[in-house]
Amino acid sequence: MAGMEHPPEAVLDLLIKELNEGLTPEEQRILAAAAPQATDEYRRGLEKTAAAVSLAATSVDSEPLPAALRERLAREAQVYFAAVSSPTTASAPTASAPTLEYGGRAPARSAPRIRRDSTVGWWAAAACLLLALFGWYRTPSTVFKPLETARLVTPAPEPTPAMQRAALIALPDTLKIPLGATKDPAAAGVSGDVVWDAHTQRGYIRLVGLPHNDPNSQQYQMWIFDGERDQRYPVDGGVFDAPAAGQEIVIPIHNVIPVHLAKAFAVTVEKAGGVVVSARDHVVVLGQVTSSRAGSPG
Amino acid sequence: MSLSVLQGIASGDQSAVRACIDEYGALVWSLARRLSRTTADAEDAVQEIFLDVWKSAARFDASQGSEKMFIAMIARRRLIDRLRKKSAEPTMEPVEALETIAWSDPGTASQTASEAELATRALHELRPEQRQVLELGLLHGLSQTEISARLGLPLGSVKSLMRRGLIKIREYMNIDAEGVAVRT
Repeated sequence: MAGMEHPPEAVLDLLIKELNEGLTPEEQRILAAAAPQATDEYRRGLEKTAAAVSLAATSVDSEPLPAALRERLAREAQVYFAAVSSPTTASAPTASAPTLEYGGRAPARSAPRIRRDSTVGWWAAAACLLLALFGWYRTPSTVFKPLETARLVTPAPEPTPAMQRAALIALPDTLKIPLGATKDPAAAGVSGDVVWDAHTQRGYIRLVGLPHNDPNSQQYQMWIFDGERDQRYPVDGGVFDAPAAGQEIVIPIHNVIPVHLAKAFAVTVEKAGGVVVSARDHVVVLGQVTSSRAGSPG
Repeated sequence: MSLSVLQGIASGDQSAVRACIDEYGALVWSLARRLSRTTADAEDAVQEIFLDVWKSAARFDASQGSEKMFIAMIARRRLIDRLRKKSAEPTMEPVEALETIAWSDPGTASQTASEAELATRALHELRPEQRQVLELGLLHGLSQTEISARLGLPLGSVKSLMRRGLIKIREYMNIDAEGVAVRT
């Protein structure tokens, strides 16, 4: 076999660490500054190597996908494809999620692990790395092409919450619960509904007429009352803002724990960032699931 | 010519989605189980991975490798990202609970060997300690520091074993950025 050229150890170690566990921001900066095209090319090869090792391991020792999870996936697929094939997809894409290209990698890898290494140490490491890279690029036989044009990836458009809500409604067993305004001053003229699918634990709240809030001081927070949990502690569905008074908004529900039997949905006004347990001083809207359409996964 | 599963998904064929789940569900689930702390984590990860697969299906290029490889790469990226996000949390599965990886018999060389078969043969060419370090890192999601602590080896040795092991496998499989060359 013809000898394969490899980057210097310092670069290779960073690439392998990235592959195995991710890099600190400092390490990412050093690697990115080093030789983006060359490292991207080499990185792809490493990713394939790791994937091949994974395939080898699972080829003799794989577990079947649990049936319930398989059904959840099929349902997720229905929602996703119904949403992306909706006629409004092209005209109203939201910010796209990181997408993956076989030959490349996700544009941004989120939430890097941060470690508090010595700054001095990092500068020293960076200096060593740059020296190493300088030597690497000067090697005439290198197989890397530092100035090769990057392959551009156009991320697939992601369906908006409104589109995803519409797709979810189309599924059988999905609950649609009207929300009623309370007597709270913030609730005047507010209307809306909740769409909730117990199987996939996904839902959307749609509200019209919600007063604009100052996100620095107050935010709206969603709650789900689970019939199988203590009613004093409804499940947190996430916080959100009303950008402009009167505008229709559709917000995905982000329940932090599973909801076994959805009995009611509510929106309260809370301090910025939300609360763990609401005092329920400002309940804006409330909607109850009737017994004939209980919100359990079944 | 019939479309592959991923090509079917890319062209909007709904039946291809179920076929994708059926064909690659066990692969994704097995990877997720190994690289997730809890079953619930693994289930969430599988959902995210398949969503990534559907979004990325149009980018599959058969000249660069198999669908399995494509999906394994997507799965690994997502799982490593999730592991990293979880790394700040204090609880961690005890390393003693890691299951032993079973490798298939490397068999004999074949011109049509799959990527998994090639990787298996390459793994059998490694020194045991190189293979062990790669198993702990790539398949169980342990960081190099965690591997170092578990094996009682200096961190530099772990890095070196991992580096040399990966290079050996890559060279054995003749992997470049564009694809996996069939080893004859």
